[in-house]
Amino acid sequence: MKTTAAAAAPVRFDPILLCAVLALVALGLVMVYSASAILAQDKLGDSLYFLKRQLMAAGMGVVAMAVAMKVGWRRLARLAWPLLLVTLVLLVLVLIPGIGTTAGGARRWIRFPGFGLQPAEVAKFAWVVYLSYSLAKKREKVATFSVGFLPHLVLCGVLVGLCMRQPDFGSSVLLVFLLFVLLFAAGTKLSYLVGSVLLALPLAYVAIASSPYRMKRVLAFLDPWAHRHDVGYQVAESLMSIGSGGLTGLGLGDGRQKLFFLPEAHTDFIFAIIGEELGLVGVTLLVALYAVVIWRGVRIALAAPEPFGTYLGLGLTSIIAFQAAVNMCVAMGLLPTKGLTLPFVSYGGTSLLVLMGVAGVLLSLSTASQGAGNRASRVGGEMREVAA
Amino acid sequence: MRDLKATRVPEGNTRWLRLRVMLLGGLFLSLLAVAFGRAVYLQIFEQDKLRELAQDQYVRQIEIPARRGDIFDRRGTPLAQSVEVDSIWVDPSMLPDVRKASRALGKALKLGAEDAGELQARLVKARRFAWVKRQAKPQEVEAVKALGLPGLGFTKEPKRFYPQRELAAQVVGVVGTEGRGLEGLELAFDDELSGQNSRLSGFRDAKGRKLLVQGTLDPMEREGAAVTLTLDRHLQYVAEKALARAVEESKAVAGTVVVLEPRTGELLALANNPRFNPNTPESLQRETLRNRAALDTFEPGSTMKSFVVAAALEEKAIKADDVFFCENGAWSVGRHVINDTHKYGWLAPKGILQLSSNICMGKVAQALGREKLVRYYHEFGFAERTGLALPGEGKGLIPFPKAEVALVTQSFGQGLTATAVQIAVGYGALANDGVLMRPYLVSKVVDPDGVVLLENRPAEIRRVVSSKVARQVLGMLESVVAKEGTAPKAAMEEYRVAGKTGTAEKADPVARGYSDKRIASFVGVVPADNPRAVILVVVDEPKTDVYGGLVAAPAFKEIATAAMAHLAVPPSRTVAPEVAVAPVAPPAAAKTPLSPKPAAERPVVAEQAAEGAGTVRVPDVQGKVGREAVVKLLAAALEPQLLGSGRVVSQTPAAGVLVEKGARVTLELATRP
Repeated sequence: MKTTAAAAAPVRFDPILLCAVLALVALGLVMVYSASAILAQDKLGDSLYFLKRQLMAAGMGVVAMAVAMKVGWRRLARLAWPLLLVTLVLLVLVLIPGIGTTAGGARRWIRFPGFGLQPAEVAKFAWVVYLSYSLAKKREKVATFSVGFLPHLVLCGVLVGLCMRQPDFGSSVLLVFLLFVLLFAAGTKLSYLVGSVLLALPLAYVAIASSPYRMKRVLAFLDPWAHRHDVGYQVAESLMSIGSGGLTGLGLGDGRQKLFFLPEAHTDFIFAIIGEELGLVGVTLLVALYAVVIWRGVRIALAAPEPFGTYLGLGLTSIIAFQAAVNMCVAMGLLPTKGLTLPFVSYGGTSLLVLMGVAGVLLSLSTASQGAGNRASRVGGEMREVAA
Repeated sequence: MRDLKATRVPEGNTRWLRLRVMLLGGLFLSLLAVAFGRAVYLQIFEQDKLRELAQDQYVRQIEIPARRGDIFDRRGTPLAQSVEVDSIWVDPSMLPDVRKASRALGKALKLGAEDAGELQARLVKARRFAWVKRQAKPQEVEAVKALGLPGLGFTKEPKRFYPQRELAAQVVGVVGTEGRGLEGLELAFDDELSGQNSRLSGFRDAKGRKLLVQGTLDPMEREGAAVTLTLDRHLQYVAEKALARAVEESKAVAGTVVVLEPRTGELLALANNPRFNPNTPESLQRETLRNRAALDTFEPGSTMKSFVVAAALEEKAIKADDVFFCENGAWSVGRHVINDTHKYGWLAPKGILQLSSNICMGKVAQALGREKLVRYYHEFGFAERTGLALPGEGKGLIPFPKAEVALVTQSFGQGLTATAVQIAVGYGALANDGVLMRPYLVSKVVDPDGVVLLENRPAEIRRVVSSKVARQVLGMLESVVAKEGTAPKAAMEEYRVAGKTGTAEKADPVARGYSDKRIASFVGVVPADNPRAVILVVVDEPKTDVYGGLVAAPAFKEIATAAMAHLAVPPSRTVAPEVAVAPVAPPAAAKTPLSPKPAAERPVVAEQAAEGAGTVRVPDVQGKVGREAVVKLLAAALEPQLLGSGRVVSQTPAAGVLVEKGARVTLELATRP
């Protein structure tokens, strides 16, 4: 009876989340155009080049979102292993010269005619789906070291190892972050988590110190002004952009820093252009939109009818939250340069496509929590049924 | 109840899960809050600092030279103008092959081997910017454009152009490539002429290309001020032409002409020879650049005698009819012997000036005394800069004559130095009834907004001698151009001329004595009865003749004739008085000096016969050149008032109307298209 009633009720996705995501995508399109027009005109003779491609990605993203909503979150549990395997294959493929394409010193793309695929972006999604599935399945055993902790850690190590081969430090950190977030949520002993962090610190130090370019990034982060003409250049330019925006910004399209001062103005450093052209007002809007996404995401996770849904909602929200916060902090010199996009806003097809798919899953999850009564009792009810 | 109890454990599990999820949600939001706080800090508190840093790199101050002000003659004819010409530059980094490109450019610009090599070195050395050719000619620009090389740029640069070419070139001066005045008035008024360069904020991108020039012009931007001179283009031309002829005919090395309006102190012409064309800077030589008339000091010679006579008369040291014995051409003063060119016996002051006797002049100076001689020279404006605003103007030197011989030689203009302008100004005082006027060359400096930065008006410096003495001396000087005087060649048919010759011995700086080189000069006041111009002609080292009366006087006459016509000066109504022939007979009793042979009675200045009852018909001057019209109106005892320039297009009152004598007739002039 209950199920028929739920099915009969019109399927309602969380409208606030939907609006926030679409607003971010729209803002992203405007800012990508503003930030890239001059570069595109200069390099490619077509000021609309990046806008067109981003529009295409957004269109495909809408499809991905719709598909995700249609497929529904529950079926993802069955897709967890296949997705992870495909991801692993892609992560290996991208490292093979001839298949993976190099840009900016990193082999991150698998080129197909007309578009490129970034396996690392897919990996984030697959990793969350797999972890949610695995943690929900293992239930109480999650707390144990050998079943709940070690296998995930090892698998994470494999993924991170592959990402670091590209190298893609940002995605690696995100994958580790997602592991910790979901393990924490699932109830892994805190001592394992803290212990592994303590153990990881020397490893991270070695990873950073062993690579001159990572070392430089840390140096640049510690004092961007001292290195403003070499490694700190990007951060220093970004700081100048954001600072010169002031309260209301220079006006859309009137930013100066994108005149080749700020590299990657339309990708990883698009936040700097937003800060410059739209000022604190624009930044506030952006932060507010992310806050809404996190709020709705966490709400959806909380209202999910079973742990898999909760983990999935939390994990997917974490991807967005972590990337947004880290990207902004990098642009403002609070964190060393990572190479993480600003979710929904930065130029980048794979990223936008995957993130819109993520949003689609969250939206599909939001329908599950709907129905009579408050969500808490509903969760209780589900549990009761399970228990019965 | 049982149900609830049964679900307690999972419920508790869920509660912990909820708590942890909410904790994580809180963590995400606080991460966002950190980012937001950082944005507030950067955009509100660090805004000014960061914006300044950002602007440092993309705002490039482009200095745009303000248009340099023009220099005009007194009638508004431009003597120096600014025009925009193309300069060619290149971004060598955009050239595919710098060496090949520089060879092509060199060929297009028709450069010599040396210049071409220099260009190539410049292009190879520069990274993003190098001048190919500044201030290029249009055909050069075309040739370079035809090469179609990448990275070439063309920009307008102001260039100084002197439409009158050599005219008054030393006075006006020249401007260097960087647009700064180097000589003459261009240097003296450089600040005013340059104006205020504007600074434009141009945005550049990281590749260093200037992108767009945005915003309003710098409020400090100011076109250069216009400088209007007292010089008259026509008189300057006439003076330069006459001077050039005098210098050429006498095979002299250089020459100078000063034309001064004695009543105002305005310099109407300041000519120098040799000349140069300031439009071809490669022809410039320091020697010809110098404005000798104002800069160079020299021993003026006998032209100084007039001042001594005026001083002695003013001080009543002598009387006009005193006579002096000229020692028959040789006079020992201490160990020195003073000579005259001819042997004279007794001379009155007029005769001394007319024949230019050094000996008798020395005696006048003795009567005047050392202190007074030096004082009067100073009062006439010597040994003091005239303040013409010309850079490096000469001052001249009058050492105090301790020795008797120094007193004597200084009385005829040796042993002291002066500039040509000083001499003219001193004669101006004699012509202006004894009042010394401050000479000036620049009448107005007006900035583009019409604000007058500087305006010179006629200014009296001091009265040097009484009006009576000044006229008396001028009268004596009229005898100089008489047949018996030293400069009959300066005499004019229609105008009375008062003048004085000078033939100075040039000091030899090497031998520390006097050489056989001379400076011949003539200074004249015309018309003597109503002075409108003081004209000084100085010829340096003439080779054919050396006397001022022969070398300089004809040039004076040529300039004076043109000046009188140009200034529309009515002819002298009285003929110059019959000049006393000197020398005079010695007095019967040498102790009581007799008055010299009485000069012929000066014809009474005829009052213009009043025709009718003080009325006159306005003559028809339609279509006449302004000057002719003025002469005609003056002849009819009417006061002309001119508006505009060119030919008369209308007159009020109309021709034939009966008006009172002295009535004003307004003429409207226009230049025919």
